[in-house]
Amino acid sequence: MGSRRYLLSKVLQAVVTLWFVLTFNFVLFHTLPGDPVATLARSEKLAPEDIERLQHELGLDRPLPLQYLIYLRETLTGNLGRSLSTTEEVKDMIGVRVLPTVLLVGLGTLIATYFGILIGIHGGWNRGSRFDTSSQYSSLILYSMPEGWLGMLLLLVFSGWLHWFPAGGYTSAELTGVARFVDVLDHLFLPLLTLTLGYIGGYAIVMRAAMIDTTHEDFVKTARSKGVPERLIRKRHVVPNAFLPAFTLIFLSFGYVLGGAIVIESVYSWPGLGRLTYDAINTLDYPVIQAVFLIASAAVILANFAADLTYGYLDPRIKNA
Amino acid sequence: MSTQHRRALGVAASIAVAWLALAGPSAYAQSAQPSSADQVVLRVGVSADLTTDNVFAVSAGSDYTVATTEYDMLQKFSVADATAAPSLATGCDHSADYTTWTCTLRDGLLWSDGTPLTSEDVAFSYRFVIDNKIPQYKSYFPGNPVFTTPNPTTFVWTADEPTFAPTMPPWVYIVPEHVWSQYDGQSLKDIRAVSGMNPVVSGPFMLTNWTHGQGFTMVRNPSFWGPAPTVDQVDYRVYTNQEAMIQALKNGEIDIADGLTPSLINSVANTPNVTVQKVVSDWWLNLAFNFGGQNADAHPLPALHDLTVRKAIEMAIDKNAIVSKVYEGAATAGDTIVRPASAYWHLDIPADQELPYDPAAANKLLEDAGYRDTNDDGVREDPATGDALELQMPASSDTTGAVDAGQLIVGFLKEIGIKVDLLPATDTKMNDYWGSGNFDAYIWYWSGDPDPNYQLFVFTSEQCGSWSDGCWKDPHFDQLYEQQRSMMDQTQRQKIVLEAQQYEYGQVPGVVLAYPNWLEAYRNDRFTGWIPSPGPQGYLLATYNYDTLLAVKPVAGASTSGSTSVPGWIWLVAGVAIAGVIVLVVRHGRRTELDEA
Repeated sequence: MGSRRYLLSKVLQAVVTLWFVLTFNFVLFHTLPGDPVATLARSEKLAPEDIERLQHELGLDRPLPLQYLIYLRETLTGNLGRSLSTTEEVKDMIGVRVLPTVLLVGLGTLIATYFGILIGIHGGWNRGSRFDTSSQYSSLILYSMPEGWLGMLLLLVFSGWLHWFPAGGYTSAELTGVARFVDVLDHLFLPLLTLTLGYIGGYAIVMRAAMIDTTHEDFVKTARSKGVPERLIRKRHVVPNAFLPAFTLIFLSFGYVLGGAIVIESVYSWPGLGRLTYDAINTLDYPVIQAVFLIASAAVILANFAADLTYGYLDPRIKNA
Repeated sequence: MSTQHRRALGVAASIAVAWLALAGPSAYAQSAQPSSADQVVLRVGVSADLTTDNVFAVSAGSDYTVATTEYDMLQKFSVADATAAPSLATGCDHSADYTTWTCTLRDGLLWSDGTPLTSEDVAFSYRFVIDNKIPQYKSYFPGNPVFTTPNPTTFVWTADEPTFAPTMPPWVYIVPEHVWSQYDGQSLKDIRAVSGMNPVVSGPFMLTNWTHGQGFTMVRNPSFWGPAPTVDQVDYRVYTNQEAMIQALKNGEIDIADGLTPSLINSVANTPNVTVQKVVSDWWLNLAFNFGGQNADAHPLPALHDLTVRKAIEMAIDKNAIVSKVYEGAATAGDTIVRPASAYWHLDIPADQELPYDPAAANKLLEDAGYRDTNDDGVREDPATGDALELQMPASSDTTGAVDAGQLIVGFLKEIGIKVDLLPATDTKMNDYWGSGNFDAYIWYWSGDPDPNYQLFVFTSEQCGSWSDGCWKDPHFDQLYEQQRSMMDQTQRQKIVLEAQQYEYGQVPGVVLAYPNWLEAYRNDRFTGWIPSPGPQGYLLATYNYDTLLAVKPVAGASTSGSTSVPGWIWLVAGVAIAGVIVLVVRHGRRTELDEA
């Protein structure tokens, strides 16, 4: 298969998947039991006639196929609508949460990936060493530890007991410039530490296993028999090949960034997209749910697409298969 | 380890050291100060974010906090008991037949943009609510009222029937006509969508910043007509984790925590410099029976029409156990449908009229009425239909304590031979049950206005299919409702309201299970002068009125004890330690490579 056909097939796959996600988003949330306007009934004293009036004005009484077509048209023209519960523009609600999400989940994934891969390489190459044993146990413990529990533990120790870091939130007050930057870093430290520790084990385990598998490959034995120095075998033969499975995992992980980290965001009151999603599901806020799911799904699809392309470049066997 | 890796680790180490050195001590010391040098800042931890800054779309708790602080009502809720008190109007006088009310506004009232606030604004706000059918407020205007404004400080309310509505007082915020007139006549959807900072307000503070999910800030309105508050700014910070909010209070990051859950209150109760306020809140936990009639598919248990069965259920429920086990003591046992926070209107059921917790007596009631367990399966049968006394009982999982109380009730009713299938449900699902009438009983909440009219209204027969929980229809109660509605003399009206509560309690259309407390905790070494409202067990933060924000001030020479700032050397040591570990790893990697080479 030529490079152009490979690229075209991947683009087509991504577009079809995105359309499927758009449609699935719509169907899933509109078939859930419950009426989003009726959820406001008690808190806003909406009598049945008020509910009918709002449903009509919001277009929720139209036939589902028509609502679907309107949804497609509006989404494709960049109009994500207004939240049903807060009446704010959805794109504004999402906009203010992107930076906190990228800061926490993006940075956390980056750090966890880097150190996780390093630990995996080192442990896998020196299998059975003290470093390998201790890192393997640590990775397993961290990987299996519930993020919420770890978060609460760190919160109680570093904020409650040692008073080193704030107990949650994004900033302390209305600050600007360097003071704000420093303040955000201060609030970011504990959630970032929690997320990094929670993710690092997974990368280390995958990379270690790939290293061990690759070490037993024939080409490694050939290199050894040819007298290639160990460090070169590791650097040029084992790590590049072992990196391939971890590579997809890394790309997908970055795709998940915009999905947020609901549990950690909740523990640290961090205003990310995960928390927005959770709140929107609770109130059946269709426009918000659809938008955040669409963005999260699109990010994963794009990341997968990028992984496919880069994979083909890194491993010509894939592209030419 | 490769050169690139070592370089990257070096960069990471530098970032970590810079992070710890910069972020740790400096920012945290700042956040622990009760106020900056020239500004007094009150920092409030809240569990719920603002959902709108639009007074015509208010919904959740923080919405009302902001609306009440920004906008005045014509008359406000008093600090003592939430009855009418002077606000924009110094008072309202009625005609002999109570159809015309004349209210006198203060002189020299200004909006925050400098525009005069006149009786025209009041008339506009009320007309806006009526003409645009704003759901939250439209019920406050019975008798097709007409509003006139003979002069800028006189507002006249004329109804086509006698009314006490102006003195309830109507919970309607007065908005500036010159801002809101452009939205008059638009759809409810569009009116609800109006939003924006830099509001034009009359109250003591205005919203200047709101970041979704993080919090919001209110600063002093220099044009406020009342006494200038000591506090310059109020920062509200959202905590999605209550444990974290308590830590923030203990650390001194916030001065007051609002809306704590009962299970955590004990962890702050004995903390030095922290005072807990158990507020007699405005909502209660309610078990409602369904009598059917919502639609053709609603078929609740017929035995619920028998007062004996309902009384037996009331007597089988140990409300004190719900208070102690579900709310850990942060509640009081429930009795009537007018909340105790409205002290003037609430009836404490006299001891001789109570249906006390007495499972033995409840069993006897059922036994004597012929409800017996004929097939020996532990569940009584209805003698009329032969059906087992089995209740399908949804409970709102979004209402604090509803499901836990439901679990206790399953056990209580088992003791009297009634089986309960508890169905925990989100409020979305609860709405479905409510609308369809497809349940036998459910546990949800009610919250009402300070004036009892609305709460009595929702229990009237005509509310079946609308506000009524389970379509209870009782002509005598309807009559009492109408009597209090048309009684203009407040003392006489109070008597009828008390009688209506007594009657409703005796007819048991539902069981008022508990009045849970709203819990607030504040640092008594930071701010003082809080004014609880209504009454000594009222809210410390702006809820029914903003008096507390006018009065609260920093404690003289407020100590920063409990400050969480960390000496710089700790950060330095920590930074050096981290850098050291990374250097060791790098060296170890290099040594390994040399060995391998």
